[in-house]
Amino acid sequence: MEIDHDLKRDVAELIQWEATLLDRRRWADWIDLYTEDAVYWVPSWANEEETVSDPEAHLNLIYMRDRGGLEDRIFRIESRDSYASLPLDRTVHVVGNVLIEKVDGDEIAAFANCLIHSYGKKGGQTRASLYDFTLRRQADGTLRITRKKITFIDDRLEGPVDVYHL
Amino acid sequence: MADGELMSTFGGLVDDRVDDGVFRVDRSIYTDPGVFDVEMERLYERGWVYLCHESQVPETGCYFAAEIGLQPVVVTRQQDASLKTFINACSHRGAILTPLKQGKALVFTCRFHGWAYNCDGRCIRIKNEVEGFGEDGFDREQYNLTEIARTESYRGFVFGSLTDNVEPIADYLGAAATWIDLLVEQSPEGLEVVPGSSTYVIRGNWKMQMENAVDGYHVSTVHRVFAATVGNREQRDGSTGMAQTEGGRITGKVPSGAYDLGNGHMSIWATHTNPERRPIYRKKEWLEANFPPEHVDWILTRGRNLGVFPNVMIMDNPSTQIRVVRPIAADRAEVTVYCIAPIGEDRKVRAARLRKFEDFYLTAGMATSDDMAALEDTYAGAFGRAARWNDFNRGLNTMVNGPDEGAKALGFNPVSSSPSWENETLFFGFYRRWRDMMEVGS
Repeated sequence: MEIDHDLKRDVAELIQWEATLLDRRRWADWIDLYTEDAVYWVPSWANEEETVSDPEAHLNLIYMRDRGGLEDRIFRIESRDSYASLPLDRTVHVVGNVLIEKVDGDEIAAFANCLIHSYGKKGGQTRASLYDFTLRRQADGTLRITRKKITFIDDRLEGPVDVYHL
Repeated sequence: MADGELMSTFGGLVDDRVDDGVFRVDRSIYTDPGVFDVEMERLYERGWVYLCHESQVPETGCYFAAEIGLQPVVVTRQQDASLKTFINACSHRGAILTPLKQGKALVFTCRFHGWAYNCDGRCIRIKNEVEGFGEDGFDREQYNLTEIARTESYRGFVFGSLTDNVEPIADYLGAAATWIDLLVEQSPEGLEVVPGSSTYVIRGNWKMQMENAVDGYHVSTVHRVFAATVGNREQRDGSTGMAQTEGGRITGKVPSGAYDLGNGHMSIWATHTNPERRPIYRKKEWLEANFPPEHVDWILTRGRNLGVFPNVMIMDNPSTQIRVVRPIAADRAEVTVYCIAPIGEDRKVRAARLRKFEDFYLTAGMATSDDMAALEDTYAGAFGRAARWNDFNRGLNTMVNGPDEGAKALGFNPVSSSPSWENETLFFGFYRRWRDMMEVGS
């Protein structure tokens, strides 16, 4: 595949923005990166080597069929009434290995990896995710996230896990 | 410590003076590593412990690796479809025999030195046997795997015991068996563990997880935010049907109750505000045709949490769950949650069941995460030893000994009944069982 450097820059920019907005707790701006019909999927591990494959029939860590699920999470964080979210853990996401898998009309499939360091009452821990994105070009020319699958590498979770840990 | 000291020590950690209006436990039962060591020996190694669900070992050769306290065991399905459980360690030098948590192997071959065992535990092969032991120098029979004393299943739920000195599992479960029946009755095809699970580590004591699962009193504080969040969602989305979740039950506005079921088992229930939203409601007619009305009423209208002493919780509330706790140390427990559901369930119904599960029951969800944070705080607070006791007195004034009307109608016989799931009298049973087992010296 011939590399479209403009597209690659746009894709990397969006994925890095997402990580930055989470770490800076700019929740409304973060949500805006997603289309209203965006699917957000964190499969559970079916066994030591594979995650589950069918979110409608298998247990997931998180599976949201549209952006409303992310809005629920922000509602909960901002309520200051969630035991697990007060105090809020500090996080740093470091995104890398951004690669375009394929382009299909307005939609771009992309890979990325992420190391996430979080720090809370029980100390710090560093975990990792594989990201599978589908991005869609909007009418105004900008890119938005229309699907994000997060393969959370850690499988024996210490402490509560929310959207900003992943 | 000598046994004499232990006996007096453990008895003193449970201050059981109900006639004086007092039931409380010393907070050191959560934090003291010495207590933990004795729990492993006297609770976990001297009684029934939950291991797995039969659907996790469906065919001959299927295995499931579990633990009894700190001891690794493996449940295996035999040629005759029965179950045996072995210490999960090679008879030679002790390596774990199962490469995976769950799988299928007619022969376990140790990956360290290559010794091999049939799934019935017989040692069938020693690598380079003649070279090492001579033509007739080795008696393989002496090296069969160590089978634990008892493996028994109650309607698909598999328990094991390291000692033979236990009653049959159905007798041990007693009144709790009826609560398992209410789940099993929901499917003529049987129940299965849905693919996928979540394991989390609690930076706290294993007993706190057992308490949390049947503590109705925290729901209207810790899960108030869950009710507000789903309320907000339903207003925003105009959710209907099975997509809806309940707020009324969480805010404590519905009939509820709690039972000390005996042998340390405990349960709570609360009425569903809209039972027709629940996946099982679609089977109403079938249930009515097959079970007494009291069973159908309990299945359809009451959310139920059951804690089976010492290590498993079975829940049928927003969704259906098996939650297994594995103690690791006084300050650490590993918990695994599984969704259990009717075999052959309609895909849409299964999806609704899973979405409710993921909303609530995971540490990546919006309720169990808050439970975990609260629980870890109670562990941290337990080190405030100058304030010695955790109180479990709530509801003494309304507790009745024996069954209430609901229990009589359903036909189970609890030690005590309580007219609110916010009451704590059910914990008397858990900590009396704990005390009684801890006080029996070695």
